Amino acid sequence: MAPKSSAPTQQTTAIQTLWKAYNEQTSDRLKFIDAFLFFLMLSGIVQFLYCILVTNFPFNAFLAGFSSTVGQFVLTASLRSQVNPENKNEFKEVSPERAFADFALGSIVLHFFVYNFLG
Amino acid sequence: MTTAYPLPSNLSPATVANTASLLRIVALALISGAAIASRLFAVINFESIIHEFDPWFNYRATRVLASQGFYEFWNWFDPTAWYPLGRVVGGTVYPGLMATSGVIYNFLHALNLPVDIRNVCVLLAPGFSALTAWATYMFTKEMKDESAGLLAAAFIGIVPGYISRSVAGSYDNEAIAIFLLMFTFYCWIKALKQGSALFGTIAAIFYFYMVAAWGGYVFITNMIPLHALVLILMGRFSSRLYVGYSSWYAIGTLASMQVPFVGFQPVKTSEHMGALAVFGLLQIVAFGQLVRSHVSSAQFQKLLYASVVATGILGTAVFGLLTYKGWIAPWTGRFYSLWDTGYAKKYIPIIASVSEHQPTAWPSFFMDLQFLIFLFPAGVILCFRELRDEHIFVIIYAVMASYFAGVMVRLMLTLTPVVCVASAVALSTLLDTYIDPKEPDTGDDTKSESEATVVSASGTNGSSFSATPTPTPSKKIKKAAAAAAAPLPTSGIISDLVAATGGPTRRGEPIKTKGIFGMDSRLIVIMHTLAMLSFFVFHCTWVTSNAYSSPSVVLASTNQDGSQHIIDDFREAYYWLRQNTPEDAVVMSWWDYGYQIAGMADRPTLVDNNTWNNTHIATVGKAMSSTEENAYPILRKHDVDYVLVIFGGLIGYSGDDINKFLWMVRIAQGVWPDEIQEPNYFTPQGEYRIDDMASQTMKNSLMYKMSYYRFAELFGGNQAMDRVRQQQVPKVGPTLDYLDEAFTSENWIVRIYQVKKEDLLGRDLKSANAFGQGKKRKRTKPVPRRRAIV
Amino acid sequence: MLSFRRIFLLIAAVTSAVSAKSSTGDSVLVVVEPSRQNDYSIFFNGLKEKGYELTFRAPKEEKPVIIQDDVPSFAHVILFASETKNFAKDITPQSLVELLSLKTNLIIALSTKQTPLSSLAAEFSIVLPPPGTPLVSYFPERSEPPSVIPIAPDSSSSILSKDIHPVWFSGVPMSLGNNPLLFPILRAPAESFAAEVDGGSADALVDSAEKGGEGLWAGSQLSVVTGFQALGGARVTWVGGVELFSDEYAKKEVSKSVESGNKKFASDIATWTFQETLVLRIDRTEHHLVNATSPKEHYTTGDEVEFAAYISKFNPKTGKWDPCACRKDIQLDFTMLDPHVRTALPPVPGAPGKYGTAFRVPDRHGVFKFVIDYKRKGWTHLHSSTTVPVVPPRHDGYPRFLSAAWPYYAGAISTSVAFLLFSALWLAGDVREMKKSKGKSE
Repeated sequence: MAPKSSAPTQQTTAIQTLWKAYNEQTSDRLKFIDAFLFFLMLSGIVQFLYCILVTNFPFNAFLAGFSSTVGQFVLTASLRSQVNPENKNEFKEVSPERAFADFALGSIVLHFFVYNFLG
Repeated sequence: MTTAYPLPSNLSPATVANTASLLRIVALALISGAAIASRLFAVINFESIIHEFDPWFNYRATRVLASQGFYEFWNWFDPTAWYPLGRVVGGTVYPGLMATSGVIYNFLHALNLPVDIRNVCVLLAPGFSALTAWATYMFTKEMKDESAGLLAAAFIGIVPGYISRSVAGSYDNEAIAIFLLMFTFYCWIKALKQGSALFGTIAAIFYFYMVAAWGGYVFITNMIPLHALVLILMGRFSSRLYVGYSSWYAIGTLASMQVPFVGFQPVKTSEHMGALAVFGLLQIVAFGQLVRSHVSSAQFQKLLYASVVATGILGTAVFGLLTYKGWIAPWTGRFYSLWDTGYAKKYIPIIASVSEHQPTAWPSFFMDLQFLIFLFPAGVILCFRELRDEHIFVIIYAVMASYFAGVMVRLMLTLTPVVCVASAVALSTLLDTYIDPKEPDTGDDTKSESEATVVSASGTNGSSFSATPTPTPSKKIKKAAAAAAAPLPTSGIISDLVAATGGPTRRGEPIKTKGIFGMDSRLIVIMHTLAMLSFFVFHCTWVTSNAYSSPSVVLASTNQDGSQHIIDDFREAYYWLRQNTPEDAVVMSWWDYGYQIAGMADRPTLVDNNTWNNTHIATVGKAMSSTEENAYPILRKHDVDYVLVIFGGLIGYSGDDINKFLWMVRIAQGVWPDEIQEPNYFTPQGEYRIDDMASQTMKNSLMYKMSYYRFAELFGGNQAMDRVRQQQVPKVGPTLDYLDEAFTSENWIVRIYQVKKEDLLGRDLKSANAFGQGKKRKRTKPVPRRRAIV
Repeated sequence: MLSFRRIFLLIAAVTSAVSAKSSTGDSVLVVVEPSRQNDYSIFFNGLKEKGYELTFRAPKEEKPVIIQDDVPSFAHVILFASETKNFAKDITPQSLVELLSLKTNLIIALSTKQTPLSSLAAEFSIVLPPPGTPLVSYFPERSEPPSVIPIAPDSSSSILSKDIHPVWFSGVPMSLGNNPLLFPILRAPAESFAAEVDGGSADALVDSAEKGGEGLWAGSQLSVVTGFQALGGARVTWVGGVELFSDEYAKKEVSKSVESGNKKFASDIATWTFQETLVLRIDRTEHHLVNATSPKEHYTTGDEVEFAAYISKFNPKTGKWDPCACRKDIQLDFTMLDPHVRTALPPVPGAPGKYGTAFRVPDRHGVFKFVIDYKRKGWTHLHSSTTVPVVPPRHDGYPRFLSAAWPYYAGAISTSVAFLLFSALWLAGDVREMKKSKGKSE
């Protein structure tokens, strides 16, 4: 939330503009991804708080759970940036289909390690 | 179009391309063959045997793995190591190496090829060196082109700096680690270039393999984030970077924690924090980018910058706090010694005592890299010319690795690949320039044709290198540059090089004022290059066969008539132990020999090459440096039955225990500063002597006594001479009361002593011994039962 | 070594069951001047009656040798030639010590003369007064010379039978050094002291006393009969004067119509020295998890382990080994460098001869040893050491699926489920989009 550091009066307007611009400029598919991202972020925050406030005893379980959300988050974010039409020229070699395949493979590997680490 | 020499014009581009790729494959195959073949000197000169020290443990562990399966290996508790502490092997090794050979072994057996596990182990390193050559090829290809890749592959295949750790029989973690290192880097570059999560995932998987295989994985852990950080700071952030780095880090870190030995370190120790910080930074930057794409505020850039700086400061503060509070382990001592070379000597003698942790001597750079060391800076400079993202990587890698290689001998290994890559880039640029048939004054040329030719030409070139070991390089760049007055300073060479290579990279540009004219200048340069390359091959072959192929378990010396004489004292002694002592007899020796004793003699040892417990090693050091009377209780407490010392005084084997003795003293002093003091072992003049002038403490130490026990008798009354230290040994040798000489090998290299049991009558063994020899005992005073009243 | 010794004892036990009562054999060599052989007939006959085979040999005779080819020729040796200065060459202090290492038991008599034996005594931490200074005492008043002393044995000694009459003694006292293997069997009376009556020099005595502190050669801290048990198990008895065994003293009355205890005392000493009494052995030890029967190759930290030792005592009457619940103070150590567990090893009620205990293995991995090290004066030393590695729990030996971790499990599982859902929806979306675009293009 970089704009926060600006003058407080501008703050609300900045966020409002941001929200507005986001709603207008983002396609539904990207919004769908963003919803998923939001869910992952919530899940991660909940786990992190639980770890700090209650117990971090099975530390490996915490790490596994937390990194599964973080990992999934970044993979999804990668997917998002790859399918975002605005970034077309950055990812010349990655078509949206390829992006999803990459994403799926990465996630499967990730979850494999997560479950291996969980127990 | 003017060309310096005629080109066939009737070839279709497809044919050229096909031929070029065929030649590349052949060249790579030949390079692999050469890489494997040159590592077999050890097997041919000696035999198929595991080398040195650590590999013996790896070998032993692999046998357990192969015979009992992975789960048993994981839970393997070795009661014979670190007696009586034992060692939880599964949790204290990098299992990648053993797992690799275990898989190969089982695979071969599944194919009904009954290969001995030992041969798998011996030949693993050469096999992986071929893979390394391939990985280097791929990596360099990303940097420049295929021809540079082939050159790099040829270099890494035979460069002594890498061969030193990967000859047949050198069954150590590094054997597979360099391949993994290069391949992980390759995947990273690929992921970065394409912005592909796929390559990020592959990089993460190989990173996991690397973590499982070698402690040097920390190098990757810091290299990649550093690269990412530099890219961000250079304003080169892109979604590709985000995708590549995030997918690598998220999966790689989680994966690395699966290795029991690494455990939670990636989130708890300072070494790994950099990667985490960069990961966090990337998230913030990416988010910022996203926001910016929606709000096109002019001030945004400024705000972003401010928030990044603020976050950085905050992060450092938090990190400092955590370290201070002890939640994040501080840097380990080994790491400190990377920054301050004097650190280890002062605080952790145990690390400093390992020869491969010493700073590198300058000649060894030349020994290990030969002319590549001159080409290397040129290659780095060339990277600046284009400065794509991957070139920055090479530059960072080169800088970091050069520094580390200067600090620690064994990190030369991480420097070697980048030297090969950079040199190959430089050399191939040079060759491109001079083989390019275009005459400079022509304006139009059929680009495709000439390029194809270049490729195929250098392809052929590469293949000829590896096939007949002709490959390699050249100092003559400077000659090409003509004016360079003298072959001295590297900077001079660099500038020459830049000048020399200035033309070719701009080949595609329409205006060419610089270039090479005529065949003669081309031929001169190319001939010189080839001469250099072949000289490099001879150097590599010579170094490999002479310096790096000795198993150090078996020694070779040359007789006066030139024939080779094999000195096999180590195995002689270890087999003696194996066959003449009870199976549970505990052997004490300095830790260098722990793995070998465990591997070859199969006896429990007090300490071995895995130096995790300083106190235990110091205990052995103390026993070795104390007097017999003081050492005996230590020996008995640890149930020691035999003490083994290495003594080179008779045949001049300089790696013996007397030469290592001061380290034992220092390590012991670190734990018992009151009882063991280093200065006591020197003469009053401060010399380290073993002759008549030696200090009394020195003469009474167990190590001295065991080394020189009965040594003077060997000379039959003549003056006995220690050939390692070139000093005369006292005519009256030391006596031993608490130990019995049990075995001394043919050349006296290994001497084994048996620890006596307590005396039957409860006397101390010194007086018991005196009595046994019929000496009159001094009439002892009766013990007063009452205290005199004063 | 232990098992070797056990076998040895076992064989000895089998053989001795038929003949003598010693647990280690019944052949005895007596080195004595032939002229004095008959002076100790009561003692010798007592031994013969018990079934010992006595062989006599003069000190200077060459045969029979005491050690042949590193094998001792006799199970026990009695050295009564206390005044002999020169023995045959196979009897030296060194060879006698070697005998001990070969588990031969010795009874050695000393005299006031300086002989090789008195120099041997020094090796056992026994300090003798200067030559020619026997023990004298003027109490109780009696007609005998002051150097012939009646000494009442300590009735609490486990070696001697109860209520032995006072014993006549004449010879040198011994001062005992710090050696823990050494213990007095018969102490000098409190009123006695060493004196130069026997041709010794008073100066030497004073010197020696001064060196050692005031009143050294006097009082009950001196011993006249001393037992010693070597680490290998062999027993030695040092007797200050050979007359103690003589027929004369045996018959001599201590007081009116009270026979002296010499005969009984001498026989008790021989009984102890020749390994008839106070002989213990550990038959076997076993260890296993609580509620299990077979031993494990290694234990895991935190295991509950049971350890048991089976101890028998030699019964000289039957010549057999009987299970013995007779010791209450045996301890067991569970040791790695230092004892991590030290616990009593009490007799198990209802199982004679079995000593057992159970304890929890410490939370420390390493190579541990079950150690019994039982050394009591007079009794056979018991030593047993069983090595067993203690390992950390296996990777699957830790508790799994803890309740505290369920949020994490939920998190991981929800992520996976969400991922699957997301993928499905995404692909579905793909299809839809394609349709849409198709529709548009159409």
